[in-house]
Amino acid sequence: MRRLTLLHIVVAVAIAAVLLAAPRILTVVQVRMLTEIVYFSLFAVSFNLLFAYAGLLSFGHSAYFGLGAYVTAISLKHVPGMPFFAAILLGAIAGAVGGAIIGFFCVRRKGSYFALLTLAFNQFLWAIAWKWREITGGDDGIGGIVPKKPVDLGIFSVDFTQVGSKYYLTLFLVTICLALGWYLIRTPFGNTVKAVKGNEERASFLGYDVNRSKLLIFTLAAFFAGVSGSLFALFQDFVAPSAISLGMSTEVLFMAFLGGTGSFFGPILGAAIFVYFTDWISSITERWEFILGVLFIVLVLYFHQGFIGLVPAKLKSLFSLGNNR
Amino acid sequence: MPLLEVTNLSKDFSGLKVLFGIDLKLEQGERHAIIGPNGAGKSTLFNVITGKYAPSHGKITFKRHDITGLSPHKIARLGLARSFQVTNIFRAMTAFDNVRNAVLSRNGKRHSIFPTLGGMDSIAEQTEQILNLIGLLDRKDELAGELAHGHQRALEIGMTIAMDPELILLDEPTAGMSSTESRETVKLIEKVTEGKTLLIVEHDMDVVFSIATRITVIYYGRVLASGSPEAIRNDQQVKDAYLGEERE
Repeated sequence: MRRLTLLHIVVAVAIAAVLLAAPRILTVVQVRMLTEIVYFSLFAVSFNLLFAYAGLLSFGHSAYFGLGAYVTAISLKHVPGMPFFAAILLGAIAGAVGGAIIGFFCVRRKGSYFALLTLAFNQFLWAIAWKWREITGGDDGIGGIVPKKPVDLGIFSVDFTQVGSKYYLTLFLVTICLALGWYLIRTPFGNTVKAVKGNEERASFLGYDVNRSKLLIFTLAAFFAGVSGSLFALFQDFVAPSAISLGMSTEVLFMAFLGGTGSFFGPILGAAIFVYFTDWISSITERWEFILGVLFIVLVLYFHQGFIGLVPAKLKSLFSLGNNR
Repeated sequence: MPLLEVTNLSKDFSGLKVLFGIDLKLEQGERHAIIGPNGAGKSTLFNVITGKYAPSHGKITFKRHDITGLSPHKIARLGLARSFQVTNIFRAMTAFDNVRNAVLSRNGKRHSIFPTLGGMDSIAEQTEQILNLIGLLDRKDELAGELAHGHQRALEIGMTIAMDPELILLDEPTAGMSSTESRETVKLIEKVTEGKTLLIVEHDMDVVFSIATRITVIYYGRVLASGSPEAIRNDQQVKDAYLGEERE
């Protein structure tokens, strides 16, 4: 691994300090937006684990986000006395199991077949969320899921009526997941994923089971998407089929490309810009989706690196995909 | 018991028959060359033995395991490693990373998540040994795709031997090389395959006769002759079909 310079440490400490102090300095509306950025960051990074590291372009990544959101919401709603941490864990596991099952079929296909198959499964799950009213509430969705009273966790308590409290919970879990992802890509497992992306045939003749490594990274990405979906459900206190829709799958793709898929942290920047920008532009015009579409076209045509490309070179190594020494 | 035994192997690609009942035996320590004109089926034979294609008929045993139709990664893990005729490397990775991919696999560290790669000193050490052996140690940080052709070929061989296989299959290791480069490559092959069993497909007869202890001639999907280099050189059928007569 490259040596950490003083600059890196200063930047990291500054970011951590700002994130921790945010609820004290920002308004409630701003903290809400920041929370959205934090859970979407994890979603976008999980998409990029597949895209940038494994070379797998998923058009159906909201399937696992939605599974996490719905399973967390349903378990809190229908299971009396369900601890919310267990509900988050169940949501994450649902994402991972969904990813393992769907991934089993998808990783056997390449290129556009892979992408279309992920899209088909996504649409299938969306249809279930839409039609199975008894469980999912159909297009009415599920609301009123979070505990009304503060939950005491020993060291700290989570009060779901307080925006700051939800923000810290989200920040805490997302940071753990991002650190885990950051670590895993630096292990032999992460190297295998990259090697299979680089040259699948050579990897298999070197003894690598390429389908297995693709399925593992697919499942991991789905797990992270499940966590972020679960946090989304808790934060919104509401889940509707839009959480598991193709629209959501497109948004996460947009976030990743907006920030830059060529780096681990790029999608985080993308999530931040996306959330901020859509909030701002939708307050100006009702036709904000049109502007978003134009922006995406410009991005793909002229701005491949995404916004991370604007980061000064000295800081770049902090944002790189991570080389292995 | 031979190390590798191919029995009555046939392969057809939806109607196009390429191999017609090939028999081949390799004893431990043998250096066996397969020669034959273009389109004779040499590369197909390699691809069927190493699991890229499943055979249409016949049987392949390696170290008493029936490996007929097994997937490439399973065959590779049994100790049978190959190189490719068209350079097949991880172009976007460094030379070091290329060899390390093979070393990690040999050490069974394909999906381990502890520790990080940076903490695996023994893996790095083994990787550098191989790089040293193939003369690429001082280029280890260069991207494989940007190396010169000859160096890429050496890397190809390096990855193959980094698997520490019992049987090495080299598919035209001197393809596209000048005669000087070919001679260097022959030296390299002799150095790195010492004491191993070798099966090599090669067009360059100088290379074949300087490396091989046995030669099999394949002609339109059939074994035309098999024997010592001396016997092959004097075989009338082989002369007629492939080697040609020396002019008086």
